[in-house]
Amino acid sequence: MKQTIIAFALSLLAGSALAAPAKLRVVTSSADLASITREVGGELVDVTSIARGYQDPHFVEPKPSFLLLLKNADLLMVIGLDLEIGWLPPLIDQSRNAKIRPGSSGYLDVSRGVEILDRPAGAVNRSMGDVHPLGNPHYWLDPANAVRIAIQAAKKLEELQPANAAVFQKRLNDFKGRMNAADLRWTAALAPYKGAKIVTYHNSWPNFMRRYGIDVVDFVEPKPGVPPSPSHLFQLIRMMKEQRVKVIVMEPYFDHKTPQSVADRTGAKLVVLYPSVGGAKTGSDDYFQLFDLNIATLIEALKN
Amino acid sequence: MDVLAFLAVPFVAGLILTGIHAYLGLHVVERGVIFVDLSLAQIAALGTTMAYLAGHDLHDPVTYFWSLGFTIAGAAIFALTRTHHAGKERIPQEAIIGIVYAVSAAAAILAMSQAPEGTEHLKDMLVGNILTVGWDSVIKTAALYALVGGFHWIFRAKFMAISMGQDVPKARFWDFLFYTSFGFVVTSSVVIAGVLLVFSYLIVPSVAAMLFARRVGTRLAFGWIMGAIVSGAGVLLSFHYDLPTGATIVCTFGGALALLALVRLAVPARA
Repeated sequence: MKQTIIAFALSLLAGSALAAPAKLRVVTSSADLASITREVGGELVDVTSIARGYQDPHFVEPKPSFLLLLKNADLLMVIGLDLEIGWLPPLIDQSRNAKIRPGSSGYLDVSRGVEILDRPAGAVNRSMGDVHPLGNPHYWLDPANAVRIAIQAAKKLEELQPANAAVFQKRLNDFKGRMNAADLRWTAALAPYKGAKIVTYHNSWPNFMRRYGIDVVDFVEPKPGVPPSPSHLFQLIRMMKEQRVKVIVMEPYFDHKTPQSVADRTGAKLVVLYPSVGGAKTGSDDYFQLFDLNIATLIEALKN
Repeated sequence: MDVLAFLAVPFVAGLILTGIHAYLGLHVVERGVIFVDLSLAQIAALGTTMAYLAGHDLHDPVTYFWSLGFTIAGAAIFALTRTHHAGKERIPQEAIIGIVYAVSAAAAILAMSQAPEGTEHLKDMLVGNILTVGWDSVIKTAALYALVGGFHWIFRAKFMAISMGQDVPKARFWDFLFYTSFGFVVTSSVVIAGVLLVFSYLIVPSVAAMLFARRVGTRLAFGWIMGAIVSGAGVLLSFHYDLPTGATIVCTFGGALALLALVRLAVPARA
């Protein structure tokens, strides 16, 4: 009996001494990065996203709790490509957490390791005019990039917590497997609509649509953040009629009046797709659900 | 402890804003040019946008001079169109201020539509947030406000006389100086605190003080005390309920003014 108690006490001691290091505190700028990092980190990490899925990630109103989150973070993961430039840099500065400054070990810009579209080849200068020098920041909407993000997350988590490297690797492989299976399913579901032409409001779907062979022929917004001019709308409507474009895709946080009036004049259907995890009230709680929802919605619209 | 450190910067920024704006607000309310700050801030933003369009970086000193140049042009417009005390003119100065605001806001939209892509965030970067302001900009702003405050102290007799509607020789010239110095202040305030908050710091203390006091000195003291209390309360509320800080302070100003108005109703005015 005595021995049992001692053994028990020893095991408790050993347990506390060898206890896994405290949970890594990860903060992400977007809910999609949070979802993917949870897949890789599981119970070993505590992941919080600053932007909610229903918010436009270009514009996030800073709140005091964000400073506390960042202050206590071990790792900050960002989409990069200037997506968060309007709100995140001052939050990082004011959090006074040296670990998560750009260039430090606790800062991970996942755009470095993914496939970026709309990036001009070669050097960019202002004389080239209408180009986005860094490329399109909505790259997370492609399962191949989700896997690339997960690989970077796993590598960074291993670096910060080497003791759990094997767990992160195992979870990463498991995620890759499930993602590939889901991607095959999504590809099959959209196969009948390959080559279909659509118009999107904002240029946020190039990765998603290219993945599934949907052709984005134009945008309602002529440039990001700039309202369409009458001549742009006129040309858009004429082109949609000529090419029989029957679907307009927009995000939930844009005003639907302009795209709806274009839809009315062309007989197209306006559908809302959710660019981020948590964007819809139900059924978008993680990356897989988000894609299930978006693909089901898109198929429903393309059917007609 | 962490929370206190985070509270300190917005609170001190609020005190500094109170210092100069409660004073300038007296002039603005007396002159009846309530929206002049929004108008000047918009002109300054237009200047920044034009500089960006001309190929300058947002943090380039050249960009600052563009914005300053536009602000001075705006000050000139307001000095030349002063009609407030002449009595006979039919066009109120608020109309000019409103027109300048609308046209410069629209011109900025046109300018952005001509810019290369990536201007999506420009609007955001022109407008600050008091929660994320840094000590360095608080200190710089305080120095600038001290200079402007000193300038106004030296020429206080002239500025006050014009605002109170007295006849002053070379009134247009003094008005130009007034609006230029005002433009200096407003453009730096908007960058650290945003348009709504700057407007509140300018107008609410001054209006609240008018409920209770006539003398300029008393009104100024009242405005300073009110601004300091509201800044502190607003910052605390924002942290306690985790609300956007600038908007919380604005609503605290609104609540405080409503409360003071009730007090004023309950307590009859002394002769």
